[in-house]
Parts: sequence; C-alpha cells; structure tokens
Amino acid sequence: MISIHNVSKHYGSFQVLTDCSTEVKKGEVIVVCGPSGSGKSTLIKCVNGLEPFQSGTISVNGISVGDPKTNLSKLRSKVGMVFQHFELFPHMSITDNLSIAQVKVLGRSKDEARDKGLKLLDRVGLKAHAEKFPGQLSGGQQQRVAIARALAMDPICMLFDEPTSALDPEMINEVLDVMVELAQEGMTMMCVTHEMGFARKVANRVIFMDQGRIVEDDTKEAFFANPRSERAQQFLAKILSH
Amino acid sequence: MNYEFDWSSIPGALPFLWEGMKISLEITLTAVVVGIVWGTLLAMMRLSSVKPLAWFAAGYVNLFRAIPLVMVLLWFFLIVPQLLTGTFNLSPGTDVRLTSAMIGFALFESAYYSEIIRAGIQSVPKGQVAAASALGMTYAQAMRLVVLPQAFRNMVPLLLTQAIVLFQDTSLVYMSALADFFGAAYKVGDRDGRLVELLLFAGAVYFFICFAASQLVRRYQKKLNAHVAH
Repeated sequence: MISIHNVSKHYGSFQVLTDCSTEVKKGEVIVVCGPSGSGKSTLIKCVNGLEPFQSGTISVNGISVGDPKTNLSKLRSKVGMVFQHFELFPHMSITDNLSIAQVKVLGRSKDEARDKGLKLLDRVGLKAHAEKFPGQLSGGQQQRVAIARALAMDPICMLFDEPTSALDPEMINEVLDVMVELAQEGMTMMCVTHEMGFARKVANRVIFMDQGRIVEDDTKEAFFANPRSERAQQFLAKILSH
Repeated sequence: MNYEFDWSSIPGALPFLWEGMKISLEITLTAVVVGIVWGTLLAMMRLSSVKPLAWFAAGYVNLFRAIPLVMVLLWFFLIVPQLLTGTFNLSPGTDVRLTSAMIGFALFESAYYSEIIRAGIQSVPKGQVAAASALGMTYAQAMRLVVLPQAFRNMVPLLLTQAIVLFQDTSLVYMSALADFFGAAYKVGDRDGRLVELLLFAGAVYFFICFAASQLVRRYQKKLNAHVAH
C-alpha cells in the first residue's frame, strides 16, 4: 500500500531524513516512534507529499508521490491524515468541517456529505455536538472529529502524526480507543506516536527512528522483547520506566 | 480682535453639503471595495512562490506607500481625464474628475489594504493549509475556503479603521475643485464670507462620523476577542 524507498531529505545543509526505506501492506498498522527531532513527523508528511523530499521514491497504492506529474491533490484525497494540533477549521461548524471536502473535492451532494459526516460523528461518539464549533469542544473531542473528517473521505489508508501529544492525559484514551477500533476493522495505518500501549495492542510492526534514519523496523514482539540497537533500548527504558 | 460667529449660512446650504457628503461616501466606498479586492490579489501575489508575481506586488506596494497621497491624486487628475476622454471618445466637457479620484484612491488604498491582508493571511496557522491540502483541496480551494475566511474575520477591525482614515483623506480631492463634503463646505464659506464657521462645522461632522464609526469598530473587536477566547 505504502512503499518508501531510500528517501532522503535536507533543509539546506541540515539532513532531516537519510535513506529511509520501509513498506506498509494493506491492513497493516505501523507505529513510528523515536526521540523528538528524529524525523518521524517529517517522514509521515512525505507520504502524502505535504513535505517534499530530494531523493528516493514513495508510492501510495502504486502512485508515485514525488513524481511531478502526479496529481497530488487527488492522491491526498484518498489518504487520510490526522495532525497533532487537530487543525479543524475554526470558522465552520462541526458538520461543515466534516462535509466541506466531501463536497468540494469529491463532488458529493451536500445532503450525502452531511449524512456521511453525521454517521461518522456518531461513530466517534460526538453526534450531539454536530452544530457546535471546534472552539466549543475539548481537545480530545476535536481530535475525534478530525479523525471522522478524514474517514469521511473514504481513505485507503490513514496517517497519524502524533495524534495524542497535544492532549491532556485524561483525553488520550478516548482518541486511542477510536484508533484501536479503526485498526481492528482492518484500516491500513501509519502512526507516529509514543503511546506504547497502543503499539502493543494493535501494531503489526514498530519502526524506531533516530537522527533521520530508520534504526529498527521489526514486529512489535521483537521490538519490545529485545530491541537490537542501543539507542532504541535507551529510548524504551526511558519511556517505559514510568 | 473679537470675531463674531455667524452660523446662519449653514441651514440653507445643507442640501448642497449633503450632495458633497454623497460624493465623499461614494469615493470611500469605491476605494474600500476595489482596495480590498485588488489588495487581496496583491497580497496573494506577494506571498506566492512565483517570483515575478511576488516582485510585481512588492514593487507596487512599496511604490504607492512611498509617495504622498496628494501627489498620486494630482497625477490621476492630470492623466486620467485625458486618458478617459481619449479612449471612450467623450466630449472634452465631460466631468471625469470623480472617476479619476475614485481610481486614484482605489489604486493607492490597495497598497495599504494588501499589507493588512497579507498580515491577516500570515496570522492563520500553517497547519490549516496542511489540513486542507491533506483533505485533497487544491491551493486555491484551501485559500478560498479555509485561509481567507479566517484571515478576514481577524482583519475586519483593521480594514474598517483603514476605511475611516480613507474617509478623512477623501477631503484631499478639494484641490481638483471637486465638491466633496469638504469642498462643498469650503465653497459655501467662501461665497458667504463665513469660512471659519463652515470649516468648523465640517470638522465637527467629520469628527462625529469618524468617532462613531471607530466606537463601532471597537465594540466589534471586543465581541470578536470574546468569541476567540471562548
């Protein structure tokens, strides 16, 4: 579904990604973790072309992301993405947030888009908030709306960029619950997150990054039982000790 | 030196002064509308990654912001009438002073509006464009549906304040002898030998309108802040 091959990226002389390669198969859930500044967010943003990269290739469902001839907007409409800071559109009601791209990008009718949006809103447990504005919801609720907004486009896969990092601790689980459910339904997912409980529960593989390189790419069992690199051992020791 | 005030020439001149006020408002409205539309385009050009567009917009804005408004207006009074009569084959007697004033103000104000709008666009977090793009919107759709509506909502107080300044500046058209509100007041005062009274009256009217308008802007801004803090 997603194949990343020897991707490198630099800002000026600063190397952000070096020779990153991995593969995400249909229905797989991949968790990407690593210390801050390791390039994990940049890598996931390269997958839908939000960040350009200088060398290597990424293809999603057989379509090359880096190819200038690729219609990136069309490709992105099939790849759902959830951001650290939710990025709901604050000037629109929740219903409009859910339907605008369905109408403007996919060309669905307003009624169809509204019904679809409400159905997904119900699924993330927020049907009662349909007519509110994003500013009236808590962080956890906003992130669930953001997930519903991405799902409304009927994506072939979902990218999560630290979806719980900006949330208060008591709101993290409500978002993770939605993600776990999604994973169990067979959605192809690539998640940048430090939530190791989530990784243990649903991930097929865990990728560990450090200084722009993919240091480990292994099944979750192997990763948690005995990480090969010293850097990953230290990282796990730090985040799992509490 | 006792000056005897005599306000008696004002009541009879009110219809004439009202005609002048209509011209002032007409110029203001045109300049605001054209200024915001053209200013938005300039702001988007300036933020564009297409270098020639960005250079053109930067040049335009810097040029108009570095020249006094009076001179811009004067050039337009001298050039535009000839241009218009030439292009549209108007008879030389046609009064195009109002049109040239509108064009001059609109082009001049666009430079200021574009700077306000540019700041407004930049005040919208970058993540909003990323989110819109991630949903498959083109850059133009992201701008139109997501960025500009938020930018304008933040900018309304500044845009209105600029409109108030603009309304005051329309008095500069008096030098083309176009009878805007200020020009009309001046003419009446000159005719009746009551210049001091008429100009005091005109000043009071400008003050009243502008003060009331800025109070409204302030109230709107308070409401806006309350809404954002929500």
